[in-house]
Amino acid sequence: MTWALLVLPVLALFIGAYKVRSFDASFKELLPEARYNVALRMNLDGHQESVRVTTFLPNTNPRQTVSAEQNNAPGLEFESELKGLSRKVSWRGSSVPNDTSVEYMFGVTSRAIHFNLEPGIPLPNSYPTSLTPYLVADEHIQVDDPQIRSKLREIGADTGSVTLRLERIYSFVSGLKVRPFKGTTDALTALRLGEASCNGKSRLLVALARAGGIPARLVGGLIMQTGERRTTHQWAEAYVAGHWVPFDTTNAHFAELPAHYLTLYYGDEVLFSHTKDINFKYHFDVETSLVPTAEAKAVLGRFNVWALFERLGLPFSLLRTVLMLPVGALVVVLFRNVIGMPTIGTFLPALIAAAATETGPLWGMLGLLIIVLCVCATRWALNSMQLLHSPTLAILLTVVTVAMLGTSMLAEQLGAAQLTRISLFPVAVLAITSERFYLLWAEEGLRDAVKQLAGTTLVILACYLVMNSLALQVLIIAFPEVLLLVIALDIYLGRWVGMRLSEYLRFRGLLKQPTPA
Amino acid sequence: MLSLFRKTSQLVRRRDAVFGINRRNVALVYPHNPRRYYPLADDKILAKERMSALGVPVPDTLAICPTLGHVAPFVSTLTTLDNFVLKPARSSGGRGLIVVADRSPEGGWLTVSGSKLSPSELAHHTANVVYGVFSKDRADRAFAEPRIVPHPVFATLWSRGLCDIRVITLNAKPVMAMVRVPTHRSNGKANLHQGGLGLAVDLDTGRTFRALSGGKTVAVHPESKAPLLGVELPVWDEIVRIAKLAAESVPLGYLGVDLVVDESSRCWVLEINVRPGLEIQNVNGKGLGPALERVS
Repeated sequence: MTWALLVLPVLALFIGAYKVRSFDASFKELLPEARYNVALRMNLDGHQESVRVTTFLPNTNPRQTVSAEQNNAPGLEFESELKGLSRKVSWRGSSVPNDTSVEYMFGVTSRAIHFNLEPGIPLPNSYPTSLTPYLVADEHIQVDDPQIRSKLREIGADTGSVTLRLERIYSFVSGLKVRPFKGTTDALTALRLGEASCNGKSRLLVALARAGGIPARLVGGLIMQTGERRTTHQWAEAYVAGHWVPFDTTNAHFAELPAHYLTLYYGDEVLFSHTKDINFKYHFDVETSLVPTAEAKAVLGRFNVWALFERLGLPFSLLRTVLMLPVGALVVVLFRNVIGMPTIGTFLPALIAAAATETGPLWGMLGLLIIVLCVCATRWALNSMQLLHSPTLAILLTVVTVAMLGTSMLAEQLGAAQLTRISLFPVAVLAITSERFYLLWAEEGLRDAVKQLAGTTLVILACYLVMNSLALQVLIIAFPEVLLLVIALDIYLGRWVGMRLSEYLRFRGLLKQPTPA
Repeated sequence: MLSLFRKTSQLVRRRDAVFGINRRNVALVYPHNPRRYYPLADDKILAKERMSALGVPVPDTLAICPTLGHVAPFVSTLTTLDNFVLKPARSSGGRGLIVVADRSPEGGWLTVSGSKLSPSELAHHTANVVYGVFSKDRADRAFAEPRIVPHPVFATLWSRGLCDIRVITLNAKPVMAMVRVPTHRSNGKANLHQGGLGLAVDLDTGRTFRALSGGKTVAVHPESKAPLLGVELPVWDEIVRIAKLAAESVPLGYLGVDLVVDESSRCWVLEINVRPGLEIQNVNGKGLGPALERVS
């Protein structure tokens, strides 16, 4: 036992170190990267008339790769044209009905970038003529206004190196209060008010940079965070020594951009323009998953479980689930043996949590609730018939299956798109859960069954949180030998004789100071 | 500071005297009870056969229902009897147990709790037992025993059913003992988790010295008001002897032996448990640790 506790972690470290060294890869390169699945969803009322909606869609560039694009807009014509560096697209149609949905989906992998600006970069005497548009005033970027000029002098950004000027401009604009104004704020207004939203701040930064002789432009985009996003973002880029360098004063990024920034367009543009009075609504849905990096695929070769899954044509998410299941089981062990929380079955909470990764934890809980209702209904309906157990359980499984499909159908009718996914919940897991809960009720009575159900629910949530931790997933997918550590922990817990937390409560009478007789 | 340290170390000492489930399994059950012998205790029919062959007094087995196909003949055997106890062979905690007290004037029987039981209900229950409903989902056997009429001392504590005596043994030496008394709240079951009472028994004298009801110490039965403390159990030496004998009859070192004493002061072993519960510590008001040290 002791040897296992020693050998397993050492072995895990050894294999990990060997992998990193022998393939001449850095630890960071082997970690999987995030892949974002973005869906732009729009809705409009066409009143049976002609409608046109125009927006910008992201392009692939050295920082971001856009793939698997899918346009889903029945009855509308889709057009796309390049406008400078941006891709302007539009959907058009005549006699468009009310409540028309337009959906455009794409996948994104992107990386963070960071520029080290040398302190002494001199301001060039002249720029190529192609950069002239980035030095002159625009409608909302009042480069030549005396107030902009005098502010430039005041903060000392009109002399010195390019880096120095940008640093001073950045720190001044960063200092402005952030306020979520609706609509457009021009550079001058932002300066006068001393506060602005992201677009006002970015315009002011661009105006000051241009006034200081540095080409600069606005960038519009999306911050890709899992969930529904109704707002987009703007930041700025300045042309320094042949590179367009990003600056986001709203979220404090100087000469850098995090991986989850998606560039949609360049310049002072409006993201959406559309026919008037169509009750236009939009939002982005963002999902995050992990995919192996190209570097990792290249170097790991035979040792690579990713490659195996790819050869077998299995989805990467399945690999993630498979590798995280032992971690979920460890969480269950902790809850049962250290905390003393009763659960239905040992691995059931981990299995349900794994199944819920496809649907989200809320739907996992809902699935569990549906099972409980099915068990109650089945018991109630069959009680007087005094059926034997196997046929009862077979009927129960049928009820559960029908209930799941029924929920999906009802959800579709009601337009609850998320809820339709309840049918994705693996039926095997549901079958086992309902059987266990039914037997538990018959064997231990309702009180114990409910108690264990409550414990199970809590442990499912804990398993879900742990199994869906991106950091843990990244680590285990790149270094499956971490599972040896999991085994070591299981062994340790397997011989752990400590009192469970719940037993401190149970035996509290014995732990109290004995009163002298 | 020093007093805090002293208090903490005293708390740790008191805690270390108490056995939790993890420690019971790792320190007592696994080393003393080889898993391959579990069926000798877990299966009440096997346990009874083995014990009776070695001279341990166990109640007769009136009938056995081994499969679903045997439910009908099993029930028809029982229809000849006025009273009996039906048990699953491998259930624990008294699950699936039915005590038939008498015949009902309207046909069928009356159970000890007074509710009616028809032969078809008995057949359904037997089928559930065989299916494994009360035995953690494993196929099981049902069997019937004569109903034991308790000794007056126990009948005073609880008149409508059986109080049983649990003796914990390590290597066939008694470690701790208690009497489990049913209540109405526990539905007549001597189960401490379902509202039954636990009486701590002094191993040397056979006298009760502490009573626990729902986590609180009491002096009288909360329903019958029968006094619970200082009760001298009948034939205590015989109880201890039989418990040791039962423990010696199986190659299992750590056991909970359950016994009853009938109206003519005879001791019967009802069952033996390989994973006896830990509630006996709360009943006795002390942890198993020191008691185990004394016998080892």
